[in-house]
Parts: sequence; C-alpha cells; structure tokens
Amino acid sequence: MSLRQLDAITFEEKIYGNEETCLIIFSRKSCHVCKQVVPVLEELQPKYEGKFGFYYVDTEENISLFQRFSLKGVPQILYFDSGEFRGKQAGLVDEEKVEGKIATILEA
Amino acid sequence: MEQKALTQKVIVLGVDGFDPKLAKKFMDQGKMPALKEFTIKGSAREDLVLLGAMPTVTPPLWTTLATGAYPGTHGITCFFASDPVNIDTMYYNLDSRKSKAEPLWNVFAEETGKKTLVWHWPGSSWPPTSESPNLHVVDGTQPSGINNGIPFLDLLKVVTGSEKIADSEYLPNTSHVAPGQGCIIDNAADLMDEGGEAETSVFRKVIAAGNNAKGFQFSITEEEECEIEALGSMVCDTIKSAIKSAEGWAQAPDGAKEFVFFVSNGLERRPALIVKNEQGIYDSVQFYKSKKEITPYLTLKRGEIRFDVSDTVKNDEGEDVACNRNYQLLDLADDGSKFNIIINNAAQVGRDDYFHPKSLYQEVVENIGNVPVNFRVNGSNEILVRETMIPSWEHYCNWQAKCLTYFMENNQYDIIFSHLHNLDGVGHYFWHYACNQEEWKENNEISYQQFQEDVYCQTDRYLSKFLPFLDQGWTMIITSDHGLITQEYHGVILGEIHGVNVPVLAELGYTVMVKDENGNDTKEIDWTKTRAIAIRGDHIYINLKGRNPHGIVDPADKYELETQIISDLYSYRDPRSGRRAISVAVRNRDAVHFGMSGQECGDIIYFTEEGFNKIHADSLSTQCGYADTSVSPIFVAAGPGIKENCVTERVIRQVDVVPTIAAITGVRMPAQCEGAPVYQIITE
Repeated sequence: MSLRQLDAITFEEKIYGNEETCLIIFSRKSCHVCKQVVPVLEELQPKYEGKFGFYYVDTEENISLFQRFSLKGVPQILYFDSGEFRGKQAGLVDEEKVEGKIATILEA
Repeated sequence: MEQKALTQKVIVLGVDGFDPKLAKKFMDQGKMPALKEFTIKGSAREDLVLLGAMPTVTPPLWTTLATGAYPGTHGITCFFASDPVNIDTMYYNLDSRKSKAEPLWNVFAEETGKKTLVWHWPGSSWPPTSESPNLHVVDGTQPSGINNGIPFLDLLKVVTGSEKIADSEYLPNTSHVAPGQGCIIDNAADLMDEGGEAETSVFRKVIAAGNNAKGFQFSITEEEECEIEALGSMVCDTIKSAIKSAEGWAQAPDGAKEFVFFVSNGLERRPALIVKNEQGIYDSVQFYKSKKEITPYLTLKRGEIRFDVSDTVKNDEGEDVACNRNYQLLDLADDGSKFNIIINNAAQVGRDDYFHPKSLYQEVVENIGNVPVNFRVNGSNEILVRETMIPSWEHYCNWQAKCLTYFMENNQYDIIFSHLHNLDGVGHYFWHYACNQEEWKENNEISYQQFQEDVYCQTDRYLSKFLPFLDQGWTMIITSDHGLITQEYHGVILGEIHGVNVPVLAELGYTVMVKDENGNDTKEIDWTKTRAIAIRGDHIYINLKGRNPHGIVDPADKYELETQIISDLYSYRDPRSGRRAISVAVRNRDAVHFGMSGQECGDIIYFTEEGFNKIHADSLSTQCGYADTSVSPIFVAAGPGIKENCVTERVIRQVDVVPTIAAITGVRMPAQCEGAPVYQIITE
C-alpha cells in the first residue's frame, strides 16, 4: 500500500493538529536511495495500522516543508509523537532500524 | 636577567580594540572615571599610547603581548597563516603550536611556582604549551568569547508575529537587513516574502571554523565579500508567526493570544501566549514547550532581555540537549497584534573543551554562572545595537569581571593574563558606520559615535570592578592589541584578512583570474599568468619558480618585480577619491623595521594609507581614523612596583609589556623577548 502524501496543510493537520504518532519520509521522485527505502515503509505500514502513521512528503512539490526542517538531502525519515519531534533517520535505512525507532516511540 | 620582585600579584586587564585616543577623549570628558583613577594611581604616557606592533591584528599582537617578541619573530603574522608553498592557501592562526616564542606565563608557572591563569587570551594560549600544574588556561578558541569556537546547537531566531499573518512559516538560514535599514521590525515580513538568502559568506565561515579548520582558499573579488559587507547582514532563522486567539491550552489566562515559534533548527515547534496585564494592555509573552504545560518556562515583559535561559535543543535522535541562550521581547503592540522576539544562538551547557584543567569549568559555572553567549545581531540596525548588542556585552563584561574578581578574592592565582572582547566584538559590526558613506544611505554617524562612547563607558565600568584590588597588593596592566578605526574612504579592496585581495593587483596586472566562456573573470586564479598575489592583511607573495608549484617568476627577476610592484602600489589611486591608497610598501627584508620580516611574511609587506584603513589589520599602528579613532593600542599600569601619578614621555612599545611585567615580578625574560622594561615607570 502506497504511503499517504502530505502537503504543508495536511502536514500541519496530522502532526500538530491531530498530534499523530507517525513517521514522514521526505523524498524525491528521482532519488535512487528513496526508491529502496520507500518500499520498506510501504511493507511495514499495515503492521502498524491504527497505532503508527506512515506518510510521504514530495520535497520538490513542498520545498517550504523541506526547508522548514533544515534538511540537507533525501531520503530523511522524521518521527513525531504528540506534535513533538522524536528523531530522524537519513539515507539508506532498513526495516530493523525503522521498527526499532517505532518501538522506542510507542513504548515511551 | 632577574631582579628583586617588586610585586607578588599581577593581572593584565587586556581589552581587545581599546584605543587610547578615544579613551583619553572620554576620560578627559569625565566619562571614564575608573581609567582616570588608574592613571592617577599609576603610570602611563600623557596620550595613553602604546606603540603597537604590526600587523594590527588580534592573534599576532596578543602573542606579542605574551612573548615580548615581534610577529616576524614569533611567526603569527595575521589572523590566518599563509602556506609558504601553496601561497593562496591559509590556515587558522589561533593555535599556540604555531608560535615560535616562549610566553611569559610558562616562565611564571614552570620556574617560579606562581599560580598563573590565562583567561581567553587570543594569541598562542591554546592549547597550553606547558604541562606545569601551575598553569590554568581558559579559551575560545576564537577571539570573540569563551567557548565561541564550539559550534552552536541552534542558530539565532528572529520571530516576527502579527495578526495579519495567516500561516506561521519558518525560513532557515535567512540573511537579511542590509546596512542603512532603520528597523528590522518593519521590513522583516516583506523580506521573508521574497525568500531567504542562504548564508554564503566565506568570511563568517572561516572565522567560525575554529582551530580545526583545514587549509582553505578564497579569492575576494568584490565588495560584498569584504569583511565589513559580510558582517553587514544578520544571519539567522526567521519565523513569521500568526497570532490567534488562545485555544486548546491546559491553562491560558482570559483574553490571551497564542502563536507558535520554531527552535532546534526547525525540528521543534513550541507554543507561546501573549498575555494582558490588569489594565488590559498586552505586555508580556509566556513561552511553553507544550500547550499541556501549566507554567511557562519563560515569561518576558515588553523590552526585556533574559540572559542565560536554561533551555533545550532537540538533536537528530529527538533527545533534549541542555543549552543556554538569551531571549528578548524587542517590542509588543499594546493590543497584542504584533511583536518581535529575538532568541539567540544556543550554546551547549557542559562544554569544558577549552578549560584547562577541566575542573575550572565547573568552578566557574557553579560560582558565577554559565559562559554567556552574546547576541549576534546586526550592526547596521541602530535599534539592535542599542537594545540588544550593547546590553548583551554588558552582561558578558559583568560575568567576566565576576569570574576574575572571584579568583582574586580567593587568592587562587598570583598572575592573571586576561582579555575582554567587548570593544572589538562590537567594533567589527558597527565602527565603520560612525562615518557616513554614500552606499549606506541611512547610517547616522552621530548615533554610531554615541554607541562608541557607550561601549567605552561600558569598558570603564568593567575596569572599575578591579580598582579595589589595587589596595590589595595587585599590580594591574591595562592594555590592548590594537585600537579600532572608523574608515573614511571606503571601497578599495586591500588588507582583507580572509583571502586573496584580487581587484587592485588584478588592475595592476599582477594577479590574473581564469576567464569563463564569456571572457569574464571567474573566482579561480590563473597561475600561468599570475606573477603576484596580495593575501591576508598586509602580505604580497611573488609566484616564484622553484618555490611555488605553479611559479612563473624566475628568482633572478624577483627583485626587479618587487621594485615594480612597490612602485605601482605607490602610484595606485582610489578611483572614487583620487587619493593614494597605500601608505607604505617594502620588501620582506626591509619589513624588519615593522617587525614583519621572515618566512611567515610575504615577499612584500604593505599598509594602507590613513583614511583607507578599515577597522584594523591593514594599518600602521600609528594611524588614525574618522571620529577621533585610532588603531593604536593602550597602556596604563598601576599598583605595587609601578610609580604613582607618573606621566612618562618614554615611547612604550608593545614588546616592552612582557619585560616590564618580568622586571617587576623578578622573573627572567622569555627566550625570544625583544623588548625592554619601561624603567621610567618602575619604582626604585
């Protein structure tokens, strides 16, 4: 299942309005590393249905969001819980790393 | 050479950029009573002048003040060092391992058993060069402040709030507010609409890089790349905040308004409340980390600055890292409809990197407080200078005076070498605005001359904290590395410390740049055609065969080429004013007269003509500037071993300071010392 896309408005709603516990991958269509990481997240998504959200931001279409977080490249996965930044992972990350981070956040 | 000690305790009160001409002016006007008191109780020349060494640059001259040796001798010959082979490559020079001369503090610590403190002395003090347990050192290692060489966790934030703003926005690394603009408050929102300009100033980058900086190359080809222009804009993250009615708070006062702001490089969003007083006027802002919290972590009244707020910054793992930073509520409308807030750079708490021994850090923090972080705001904005920059240095001066007097009261040290950076710190940001220039259309020189007076009075308040110790057996030396000049003729690119000064030598045909496909100069030097480059403050290097990898000048032709360059420099006229821009240019051999010959110096040494000198670095140490400024350093001494109420006609040179201290304390002269005691002011 593909990840739900966020723009500046829906990002605001989900992260700060609804205070969702979730991750957001900042990505770019032409990025090779992203093409390896996104499927990992897509596969994990159903397992966390209702507990942990998975979202996607296209940085080319949402430059202001990309700049907002002072990001210096893609892919970058940002984690949020109750509107609070809980960490980020950059570059090629595997299932184990992502699940490890999710577990830390859900256990807290 | 040793003699009987006339004093047991000495403190050098070094103040970077302290100019005797301005000091005497304000002292004679009764505005510097502490300095006056020091002169009455001690010795100085009538004009308070110390004949400075050259180059008039911080690391070379503090090294001279520590060793009694000229820069050509100790080898620190500008803010950066030049690579002798790759002549366009430079290295950071605030590094004691680069100095070839022995500092007096090592003599005290190793041979006399005197407990010695070197407190933020930006000239060959770090890392410590003696293993003696008697030597304690605190450093930057950057001239502007203790710990400033440690990268900040989070950049300065300007938060501009308005009810007219629909959505809050965060614009990282915005460089805005050009010289001449009156007030950040009115134009910040507009500038943000145009989008932020990323900070690219090489000057800022290399200065901030600290002593870990690798060699770097940079060609200065236009005015925007010069120091004054680079510091003319403020580097910050800008936040445009929408003001709304407070909603969803665990507890918010009636009628409160809310906004959000961003910290932690944009990763962390925090809420804040604008709150009314009993008269119904919105007069304060409460800062929270979450709406669920009952009490704010900080409340500011309109106009209030809170220094050293215990705060946190999120790291990449999402963890809180302890930091301290300053907050200021610069203004707030009575109806709460708009405001401006400045949140300073965040410094990590607990960094004892530049404290030796490390236990000294804990002692300072526990007894005095965290190392302060100054607001890095814009010098071209009068409001920010008056309301933010100068008060911020007042806080730093007070903290430092408390630290040093704490040590003096507790008899922890016999000898203290200290340095304060308030004058030079503000000087680089605004000294040049004390002279009206066409390109800075609205700079009001009268306001800036007043700011100069304000910071001299601030320095006097700092000095006054040490006056009581004159009666407790302390000998005090008030001195500086150089003064600060207000430049009169702006725009000739020579004497910039942070790169190759291209335009003038290119115009004279000695430096040639690689052309692009349209025939325009690029930033790259064409070594196949370049015969010489001007690099750093005062140095010109010949591109010599056999010495430099791309050398094209035959060693047999070097002398004639130098003759020609020197002749052309004297003939060079500033296109704007028509005036000669060079004061002196000599061969390396002849520069021994200026203490600037030898292998760490260029093949030609030059100084700019009076009027063209910028803040400092490119001048002869005797030159004066606009608005009663001069680049000369100052010297006043008082206390045991020094004559009271003594005015001497003796020319006191910068290299004489160390031997004078050595003479009155009865210790030997440091190995490379080239000066002599100021016998005329020493008691029998």
